[in-house]
Amino acid sequence: MTTQDRMSRRMPTSEHTIGPFFPRSLFGAGDSDLTIVAPDASPTRRGEPILLRGRVTREGGVPCLNMILEAWQADADGRFDHPLDPARHMADPDFLGWGRAWTDEEGEFAFRTVMPGGYDDPVGRRAPHVNIAAMGAGLMRRVLTTVYFPDHAADHAADPVLALVPAARRARLVARPEGMADGLRVFRFDIRLRGTAEEETPFFDA
Amino acid sequence: MSAEDVPDRFDPWPPGVPPQVPVPGYPNTWTYTPSQPLIRRVPTRTEATGPIRLDRKLLCGEANLAERTPGRFAIGQLIHLSGRILDEDGRPVGGAVVELWQANAAGRYANPIDQRAAPLDPDFLGHGRVRTDEDGRYAFLTIKPGAYPVPVQDTWWRPPHLHFSVLGPSSLSRLVTQMYFRGDPLNALDRILNSIPDEAARERLIARDLPPAEVGDRWLGFTHDIVLRGRRATPHTP
Ligand SMILES: [Fe+2]
Repeated sequence: MTTQDRMSRRMPTSEHTIGPFFPRSLFGAGDSDLTIVAPDASPTRRGEPILLRGRVTREGGVPCLNMILEAWQADADGRFDHPLDPARHMADPDFLGWGRAWTDEEGEFAFRTVMPGGYDDPVGRRAPHVNIAAMGAGLMRRVLTTVYFPDHAADHAADPVLALVPAARRARLVARPEGMADGLRVFRFDIRLRGTAEEETPFFDA
Repeated sequence: MSAEDVPDRFDPWPPGVPPQVPVPGYPNTWTYTPSQPLIRRVPTRTEATGPIRLDRKLLCGEANLAERTPGRFAIGQLIHLSGRILDEDGRPVGGAVVELWQANAAGRYANPIDQRAAPLDPDFLGHGRVRTDEDGRYAFLTIKPGAYPVPVQDTWWRPPHLHFSVLGPSSLSRLVTQMYFRGDPLNALDRILNSIPDEAARERLIARDLPPAEVGDRWLGFTHDIVLRGRRATPHTP
């Protein structure tokens, strides 16, 4: 590559809707399980495995089927297996932190993961959280939101991203406990794509 | 590379490049698109990172959509499509996962959700997935898809297009997009393509035709580069 190539800034390719036809064949067994790095890998043994469930609805509370959701989070100790994490060498090698799921006719999705850890970011201490991107027909751009957990209420006050959310809407970003399943704690995080300010899930700029 | 330089890796989307939403004439977008303003944030480590070895999770290597059985080709115009995944500095993004899906030559998807009365082609695999090489390069052998109507009251026909999903080294560089063909009269009428306000940005979604004499007599050739958001792309990590 020449220096000229390196210096010339390119404009990013525009985003488009994922549409209704993202193929089921591109989903594999275990894609919605963040605790395994490969289909045949064993789940990580670090951290508390949990289930994260939710329902995606649009205006009027109508369920959205065939929405594609992608999750990304830190491991149980708040580390990312990525060069941008200064503590990468301590990241859990058996935890992927990424998963993909789709919604059924009721708009329901489910991920298996571990309770994430918080970490110190240059802009402040991030409370434990899971990033969710939702895509689907009717959504020309993906929407981005963040799931927090009721376990860490004390950390939420200091989280520099949660602080940007209007105070009255912050509770919408905290998952609700929903009992146990398969011996794991279950958390519910419903996503309302469009509604009134009270109804709508807070979404972040991409 | 350190955590401190996370924010200046990601500029906001340039004006006119993302689609303008909701889209007049596409009723679904009026019930799905959030109505509240998006909340601006400075990118932190969690947004700037992403899974760098996703090819372990999403098995890659399906590059031939047009020849499921050796010697038996799908119906339609065979095309060879290749290109590079780059960052905003023009640096190749190696190790990116590139997913492709599309309609067949009759404009029908091999997806149970597509119930249109157009024929399915058992010799056509409507999807593929590859991992980019060190130069950020990907390639697929496929067919040119047909147009299809959008089932809304005031209908329009989608021009032939390929759907791309690119998973790069960061959550902010994650991209889902579509690619079009030059000269199709339906391009000017497509409400999805034309939801991109900037003409140059729309132009960048159109593949480049390769001179047939260079490609040979087996298929037509196209190239299409895709630029992900972010500068100083994460070096390829094996
Ligand atoms: Fe399509």
